[in-house]
Amino acid sequence: MNDKLRVTEKELTQEALRDPTEALRVPVVTPPVPYPIETLVPEVRQQTPAVGQRATRPDGRLHGLGQTRYIDDLTFPGMLHAKIKRAGIASALIKRIDTSEAEAMPGVMAVLTGREIPVNSFGPSLQDQPVLCDERVFHAGDGVAAVAAVTEQIALEALEKIKVEYEPLPAVLDPLEAMKDDAPKVHPPASNIYSHKIIKKGDLEKGFAESDHIFEARFSTQMVEHVPLEPHASIGMWDSNGRLTVYSSLGRITLGRTDIARTLRLPINRVHVVATIVGGNFGGKNEITQEPVVALLAKKTGRPVKAVYSRGEEFTSSTTRHPIIMDYKTGVSRDGRILARQVKLYLDGGAYCSWSETTLGKACILSPGPYNIENVEAEAFVIYTNKTVTGAMRGFGAPQVCFAYESHMDDIAKALGIDPLEIRLRNAFSEGSISPTGQVLHSVVVRESLERAAERYGWQESQS
Amino acid sequence: MKRRGRGIACMWYPIGFTVAANPSAATVKVNEDGTATLLTGTVETGQGSLTVLAQIAAEELGVATEDVHVVSADTDVTPMDTGAIASRTTYVTGNATRLAAEKAKAILFNVAAPMLGVRPDQLEARDRKIQVKRFPQRQLPISQVAHHALFVKGDPPIGSASFNPPTVAMDPETGQGLPFATYVYATQIAEVDVDDETGEVEVLRIVASHDCGTAINPMLVEGQIEGGISMGIGLALQEEILFDDKGRQINPNLTNYIMPTSLDMPEIEVDIVPSYDPTGPFGAKGVGEPTSVPTAAAILNAIHDAVGARVHSLPATAEKVLAAIKESRVQGTKQLPGTRRAIAGPAA
Repeated sequence: MNDKLRVTEKELTQEALRDPTEALRVPVVTPPVPYPIETLVPEVRQQTPAVGQRATRPDGRLHGLGQTRYIDDLTFPGMLHAKIKRAGIASALIKRIDTSEAEAMPGVMAVLTGREIPVNSFGPSLQDQPVLCDERVFHAGDGVAAVAAVTEQIALEALEKIKVEYEPLPAVLDPLEAMKDDAPKVHPPASNIYSHKIIKKGDLEKGFAESDHIFEARFSTQMVEHVPLEPHASIGMWDSNGRLTVYSSLGRITLGRTDIARTLRLPINRVHVVATIVGGNFGGKNEITQEPVVALLAKKTGRPVKAVYSRGEEFTSSTTRHPIIMDYKTGVSRDGRILARQVKLYLDGGAYCSWSETTLGKACILSPGPYNIENVEAEAFVIYTNKTVTGAMRGFGAPQVCFAYESHMDDIAKALGIDPLEIRLRNAFSEGSISPTGQVLHSVVVRESLERAAERYGWQESQS
Repeated sequence: MKRRGRGIACMWYPIGFTVAANPSAATVKVNEDGTATLLTGTVETGQGSLTVLAQIAAEELGVATEDVHVVSADTDVTPMDTGAIASRTTYVTGNATRLAAEKAKAILFNVAAPMLGVRPDQLEARDRKIQVKRFPQRQLPISQVAHHALFVKGDPPIGSASFNPPTVAMDPETGQGLPFATYVYATQIAEVDVDDETGEVEVLRIVASHDCGTAINPMLVEGQIEGGISMGIGLALQEEILFDDKGRQINPNLTNYIMPTSLDMPEIEVDIVPSYDPTGPFGAKGVGEPTSVPTAAAILNAIHDAVGARVHSLPATAEKVLAAIKESRVQGTKQLPGTRRAIAGPAA
């Protein structure tokens, strides 16, 4: 009955559409009659085309004219400039910090050390990172003291006058060495392995037993820096109600505000974070760096304080990409189908956790590659070393594992005499494939991307 | 002599965080002239994310992209956002933006329905108009409806919404779970010249086929891919932070830390793979990080194809490539003892 009615109504509507005069005769008064009949949500793609257009960016003109105002372009009345003294030693106990000579310099308005920071630790998952080191240095790029002065040059000169006495400790620099039981601890008494992840699917032993060939290889990658055009920059200032405003090149202001409030022991609503247009992030500006330092120096001096990293600090004291040592063992059938894969990843975690847990998770989940593999075991460790902090960087471990699983794939293809494109197509995910974590995948187009790239490149024609 | 090689690499990459709540919220306000203001806590870090969000809001409201002004990244003004990280802005903040615009639009529809003599669900917004579905002759300018909503009905068209990708925690023993809401896929093919006497590698051409769901702004997708490839080339061939034996960096400057410049960039051919993710805003997923994922793998496979030598550690500097070429020749010699031919070329 209902179905019948709907059919009639639909026909009526189509009639109405064909006849423009009929369409115009839609009742004007309420209550509404059942026109039009279909009341489904309109197909989004039928709407005004804004999506899919090559719209120009509103900030493009400002960039082009050099009018974009980055943090370093902002200035406030009475603003001071801050600089941070770096340890320059990878592992040590701080015996004494003498700031008296620096404080006496004309133009130096305040000096700050780690002991003055209300809660001297932060980090997105483990709060293992001091804002300024107070008792111990964990890597050479650590800050140990900060100066606010009327010019950047005076602040830099004052850093030279700060005397820090260290008691050097053995440093551990190699992640595989650091994993050993007798290795020096970076954060004693905690283990140097600070996070671990494992993924198991199917029966690995059975998979290897059924394989015609087994391939093994070790791959490794290096530490790289994001190198954003705009270095880390921030300005801190207080109003007379004791409310803090921080201008910062942060990519995550919500989390940044929480961290700033926590380190300064302030209620969150007393902290106001403003991010301007950021001159490149790539993962390197996902957590606070010097924001509590400028805030406290501003509080000590009663004046706005700005700090901008030098290019050198950008390398030594911001986060970097995790070097990873990757062991792959893969069992394949004669026709190039992957039957079993075992992956072990050792991530050099640097001196602090930062975004290592996210990197570890993504690297581990992605490490088997976009392939249908019945039997998988992927295990990953992230290990403290007395080196530059490794954290979030474009890809979170994926470029490293992709280099490994795709190099491995080509070696397998070559050994079996199969074309590299063909072996990938034989193994690639398709709609509804099950990922190593047991997830049913949707909108999967890895085959399409392989085929389209090969077509565009002329893969078949360029066959040697 | 220079030898040419080609290498292929494909990848998969998730959108958003590993099993952690990573919500975004957004507020859309329609002004009395039919333009709109979008409030978002995300930060423009150069990728053009605010343009994409403006396009999403415009599409939902049926107005033009330039009708949407975006206010971003001020904790006193904008709603919370997990941030410009993990290739999540288009998918997560985009979904929140679309939902917020949908709510503002619903208020406009409620106001417009009696004006047009229909039910709100019989309306659609397009071309800066609110019109009866299938009967576009019956329409009102969105500005008139917005003005009416604000100053006659007293019902300002403002919508706020949030979105958090659905995930299921991974089992600590087996890793089974739904760590991410969705994934993107890509393939890159690299063509290189390798000098087998010096080990120097020149990247000549890269074809990049990337899936990003619906490309909200194809121009920005192309920009992301080109930028990602430049980072990938740095990872593959040049960039490396070096330490002395005491753990201090020895090249923390752009003189000795060698990044690719525009002169190092190959010819890049961008291809956007047609795809539609029903869980994304207008079918979109994301593209930021994945663009730099397969580049190094493709280049290293191309080096292998060119000279038959496998470099197992990045970056593949000229020294490492040359060492790998020599090693592969030595292996070739061992496999074929007593033959002269083995010394001449790379291992079979």
